Amino acid sequence: MRYFLVAIIQCALFLAPPILQSQTTEQQTLAASPSIALQIANGKSTFRVACSYCHGLNADGGFRAPSLISGHLSHGDTDEAILNNILHGIPGTAMPANDIDEAEARDVIAYLHSLQKPASAPASGNLEAGHKVFFGEAYCSRCHMVLGQGGRFGPDLSRVGASRPRDYLIESIRKPDAQLTERLLPLDFGSVPTPYELVSVTTKQGITFSGLILNEDSFSLQFMDDRENIHSWSKSELQSIVHTHRSPMPAYTEQQLSDSQLDDLVAYLASLRGDSK
Amino acid sequence: MIRRSFVPPSPEAQAVLPVLPLRPVGPEFRKTFLFAAPLGFLRASALSFLCFFVLVALPASAPAQVTYDQILHSADSPSNWLQYAGTYDGHRYSSLSQINRDNVSQLAAQWIFQTPQPGSFENTPLVVNGIMYVTAPEDLAFALDAHTGRKLWAYKRALPEKLRACCGHTNRGFAILGTRLFLATLDAHVVALDSATGNVLWDVQAADYAQGYAFTVAPLVVKDKVIVGVSGGEYGIRGFIDAYDVATGKRVWRFYTIPAPGEPGSDTWSSPEAAARGGAPAWVTGTYDPGLNLLYWPTGNPSPSDDGSGRKGDNLYSNSILALNPDTGKLQWYFQFTPFDLHDWDATEVPVLLDTELDGKPRKLLLHANRNGFFYVLDRTNGKFLFAKPFAKQTWAKGIDVSGKPILLDTPQPGETEGVPTCPGAAGATNWMPPSYSPQTGLLYVTAREQCDVFYTHPQHFVEGRLFLGSMYVPSTKVKDWGAVRAIDPKTGDIRWEYKEFSATWAGNLSTAGHLVFTGDLEGNFIALDADTGKPLWHIQTGSAIYAPPITFELDGRQYVSISSGALLLTFALPAPAR
Repeated sequence: MRYFLVAIIQCALFLAPPILQSQTTEQQTLAASPSIALQIANGKSTFRVACSYCHGLNADGGFRAPSLISGHLSHGDTDEAILNNILHGIPGTAMPANDIDEAEARDVIAYLHSLQKPASAPASGNLEAGHKVFFGEAYCSRCHMVLGQGGRFGPDLSRVGASRPRDYLIESIRKPDAQLTERLLPLDFGSVPTPYELVSVTTKQGITFSGLILNEDSFSLQFMDDRENIHSWSKSELQSIVHTHRSPMPAYTEQQLSDSQLDDLVAYLASLRGDSK
Repeated sequence: MIRRSFVPPSPEAQAVLPVLPLRPVGPEFRKTFLFAAPLGFLRASALSFLCFFVLVALPASAPAQVTYDQILHSADSPSNWLQYAGTYDGHRYSSLSQINRDNVSQLAAQWIFQTPQPGSFENTPLVVNGIMYVTAPEDLAFALDAHTGRKLWAYKRALPEKLRACCGHTNRGFAILGTRLFLATLDAHVVALDSATGNVLWDVQAADYAQGYAFTVAPLVVKDKVIVGVSGGEYGIRGFIDAYDVATGKRVWRFYTIPAPGEPGSDTWSSPEAAARGGAPAWVTGTYDPGLNLLYWPTGNPSPSDDGSGRKGDNLYSNSILALNPDTGKLQWYFQFTPFDLHDWDATEVPVLLDTELDGKPRKLLLHANRNGFFYVLDRTNGKFLFAKPFAKQTWAKGIDVSGKPILLDTPQPGETEGVPTCPGAAGATNWMPPSYSPQTGLLYVTAREQCDVFYTHPQHFVEGRLFLGSMYVPSTKVKDWGAVRAIDPKTGDIRWEYKEFSATWAGNLSTAGHLVFTGDLEGNFIALDADTGKPLWHIQTGSAIYAPPITFELDGRQYVSISSGALLLTFALPAPAR
């Protein structure tokens, strides 16, 4: 019946990707021990059954929940905090209590530690310089907001460092169409998040508008145009709707953003954890 | 102010009471009462007192007195909704036509009920003589005044903390007989409640919930028995269908959906151990042919659902329709749709019974739009396969052979790291959401899901009471899923029309003599379609994904349509005529 594990597994740690990086070196050493290897294997098995539907097959972020290997867990990054979150869920998020025992949960934690990649290590760039790139040279803030500063058109990035690994940030800047970020909608049982996607509509009078899709169903369409106006159209008023499957964000090539600027920018983004400084 | 009186007879007394439906006391009474009110407190009280005695004396005030004859002929009392699928044949069709395609655009909400427990609100309410019986997530249940949506009583079950029901703590509805309502619970009990008070009349344990057994099914009453099928195909249970005595709750028979060692079909499992935890739950309400005296009950996936390495064989009677004698629980015939299933394609879709001519001969048919993507037509007298045709995109079978077995395509086996994309996905081309059949159009209306998954295997050790899936699947991200209501010609399997939906949905449907099909979608729209063309005629945004089938009933000469959505149960009608 599992017409969906969705039900159990609306297990979205929306706001809770892990850190674990502080223990990376230690884990790598320990991974040599056979008992740890077994624990990791068991943890992988449990993770696949209990967690991966939301957090992705390899814990790198899924439909309904963020990556758990980005190097930071905003709901606590000690093993005990992670254990508590797995067993009891995280109130106020979609992360449910899981029906597994403590030993299994510890296996899952061992598995997550084993997944920490060097790519998730802190960026080498300069945070201050990155801040300047964001609000200056690269115009990121024209569309993206960080704690109230910036535009409304793109996703809010106030917590992006807590939810996205470095690789993903780099890809999003160089190739924004590679993976369209999804809006994490409220928890409507089984609902599918809307991607940050450019949509273009033409009215029956022949006028075309385009913008970032906010929501859509069989009868209506809501989107925000690049002047931050919110549109609501009944589909019966439109002669065509084109989903571009593209991000409205321009790709930043090396001409527009040098590797060192990128490093600085990523260092800045990785520092964003949602707290005012 | 009491508009009508609900005086409960004792459950024991019901058998001897004359069976009269509860009727509104009538306009005369209402006028009298209203007239009396301004005349002063004393006089009004005295009049009410008098009325009380008059009404107590009237046998017409018995609540929800439903005879087996009424259940048997449910189609003859369209003002009520007496059983899960409306009628024993699973048609979910109503002959009410006050709301029709010319006036449906005027539908307006009459009342909205809210259950305090959010979750997947999948119930089919029953309506008997002006009272609606509702079951909600976490085994909450309510009786409502169907005129106003006001609560008459509530039932709350003390459920254990760690329920195993895999896929939402849902319940799909009551069954009723006499003044007894039957509820099958998440902790694997079957309970009878008094329809006038919600008091528990009996409560029996069917199985141990801690081992993964649960009920989400709406029971079915046949004669003096209440029949239920168990959930738990994700926990390595051994599925069963049970019949209980309506009066006492004593179990009369149990049919295990997996044969015991040595029984016919036991050789379709590679080992007795695999069979013992082989799943084959039975979590959707079956249908019944009183003429043939056969119960048709669908079964679900073998366990573990997506890893077949430990259960080689056809895995009987998973993913089948079982034709059982309802008096004895004896198997008359079976038909298996997806042998050795690796994709979680339960056959738990409502089997629809239809008497019609096929190739010039009158036939007794069983129609089944299956989760595996094919629409099947069987001879329901003997289970013989007649034909099958895809009704949704499928990428796993070349077709169905003359015996009814799938001819598999040569696709790679899913691996631990290499996923295999397959359509339909694990949730299927359709699922438990009930279809409807309209004799007015001769069409079967099915919720079709166009959604594919990438399947991975991941062999697991069996631990009692734990999820036992053997795999993992993730939605295929390349293409946006979508859904449709498809109108299938049952004689050919051809799709006559399709109403496209934005996403793959979970709502069932209802068809009516008003040339209408009512359904809902994942974005929360409750929708009326033209039954002949599929054209959308009316919709309203209800605010939450709809996971239920609609029902219809009539009260005081007005037709109502009800649908559950989110934590709401909404009831619509045409505007009331001016008084």
